[in-house]
Amino acid sequence: MLHLLKIDLKKLTSYRTFWIVCGLYFLTLGFGAASGMELLKLLANTFEKFGQELNINRIPLYHFPDVWMNLVWFSGLIKIVLAIMVVISITNEYTYRTLRQNIIDGMSRSQFLLSKILTNVLLSLMSVAMIFVVGLVTGMIYSPEIRISQMLTDLEFFPAYFLEIFFFLSYALMLGILIQRSGLTIILLLLSQMVETIITANIDNYVPWLIPYFPMKSIWNLIEFPLPRYAFQEIKDYITFGTVVTVIAWTLVFNYISYFKLKRADI
Amino acid sequence: METVLSITNLTKKFGRLTAVNNINLEVKRGQVFGMLGPNGSGKTTTLGMLMSVVNPTAGAFSWFGELPSNQVRKKIGAVLEHPIFYPYLSGQKNLELNAMIKECPPENIPNVLELVELTERKDDKYKTYSLGMKQRLAIASALLNDPTVLILDEPTNGLDPMGIAEIRELIKKIAANGKTIILASHLLDEVQKVCSHFAILKRGNLIHTGPVADASKGTETIEVHADVEGLNELLLNFGGTSSIARENGYYQVSLRDSFNSKDLNRFLFEHGVVADHLVTKRKSLEKMFLEILAEANH
Ligand SMILES: Nc1ncnc2c1ncn2[C@@H]1O[C@H](COP(=O)(O)OP(=O)(O)O)[C@@H](O)[C@H]1O
Ligand SMILES: [Mg+2]
Repeated sequence: MLHLLKIDLKKLTSYRTFWIVCGLYFLTLGFGAASGMELLKLLANTFEKFGQELNINRIPLYHFPDVWMNLVWFSGLIKIVLAIMVVISITNEYTYRTLRQNIIDGMSRSQFLLSKILTNVLLSLMSVAMIFVVGLVTGMIYSPEIRISQMLTDLEFFPAYFLEIFFFLSYALMLGILIQRSGLTIILLLLSQMVETIITANIDNYVPWLIPYFPMKSIWNLIEFPLPRYAFQEIKDYITFGTVVTVIAWTLVFNYISYFKLKRADI
Repeated sequence: METVLSITNLTKKFGRLTAVNNINLEVKRGQVFGMLGPNGSGKTTTLGMLMSVVNPTAGAFSWFGELPSNQVRKKIGAVLEHPIFYPYLSGQKNLELNAMIKECPPENIPNVLELVELTERKDDKYKTYSLGMKQRLAIASALLNDPTVLILDEPTNGLDPMGIAEIRELIKKIAANGKTIILASHLLDEVQKVCSHFAILKRGNLIHTGPVADASKGTETIEVHADVEGLNELLLNFGGTSSIARENGYYQVSLRDSFNSKDLNRFLFEHGVVADHLVTKRKSLEKMFLEILAEANH
């Protein structure tokens, strides 16, 4: 397994585009996650100009344990950048025809797929680690008092965050394998949310119970938008078993479709 | 002799097109096996099936008596159609990657680079290589694992005469080490120069297979001239003559099987005739190839 991961990393680590896109992703992730307080101050200033007051100290954005859910939700928004890297990585194998040569040289088709999936796992774990570190540091800085029990609360958002990223990278990998051309795949990746929204809007009146099981929707349901809780609204600030199962099921389906397609195709 | 490759009833259809039609073939250890056929005759498709990148419609094949698997493929070095590498990686890095895939020690890399004379350019990006260098890197990569079998598909395609000569020398060098080589080509001359055995494919059908040496056996023509009267009758009296034609002032004597130019020369001498011109012409594989293709048309 480790050997397969090493093979895929060997392909990527000398590829300039990989460093640019991943650099962009992890820098945005790190700085973006850490700059929430500055954004709030900016917001407060704007409010002041209109003669209103926004007491940013009343919003415990970075206080333990709120910081975990807040960071995880916002970080999920830029997973598309990482997914684009995954698309480039897999479609390159088709345009350069290196997939064909890898098989000729002695990889099995499932090994090839596994090497790509393992890279997805690694990228997802790195995102988790990054957000955990940023959360830990900012939490230490902004929390009025630091209690271990509060730090350890809500940590289940990290496995959920891992699922979210890995789900989306699996989806990107599947699209790449099905379409094989980078431009078209990236466009479809970007449009997926819109297409799903159109479909769900149309079936809303007939089978509303089905909607939570749509793939993109299942991600939104896994980790809900956390900010309304600061406007005295009730939110689901925990992870439910049902949403986890839905997301895992979709992830398995995506990877199985990749496997099925790869196994049957002439390459 | 040990069978390296055995193909039974192998067929590939792309929709309505039958690219490979019910092929049966055996390749033995140590053969330099040529797959000869015009463009589109199904050579690459056949090799693609043998390397598991094209799924057969029907039929089977075995390497070294084993069912096809990725482990078996590691014992085969193959380049199909074009050299394929990661363009943004250097030659060296590409080979390191292939060594990982083939699970062979990277210590072989300097040796194969030396063999194909790419050592000096090994750290340049693959995309900066000339076509000849790309072909040579592909051969280096195929040899990386010291494979038992080497498969080359049109290895001289698109090369200039010097590049062609280099690659052919390289193939002969590798064949001299006793490796089994399967060479697909649409060039007769190439198969004739390099191969010990050959098969001819036409529109997906295997229409001939056998040793290259046999392809020219029994088809010797002797060009003779002597300043004597009645040479024609004398030649007709020779037991090995199958037919005589007269061209550009010379007699063209086609010989029967098991007769050769020495027999004819001795015969003439014994009848008191000394030829002042006696040239042996072997019928080339090219004529064979054209004849076989023409026959298959009927
Ligand atoms: N992927 C494919 N899809 C459809 N037709 C194909 C495909 N690959 C090859 N062919 C067709 O199969 C035939 C044999 O092609 P090929 O094996 O490449 O011949 P060769 O290598 O002898 O030139 C050709 O008619 C070609 O057009
Ligand atoms: Mg071909």
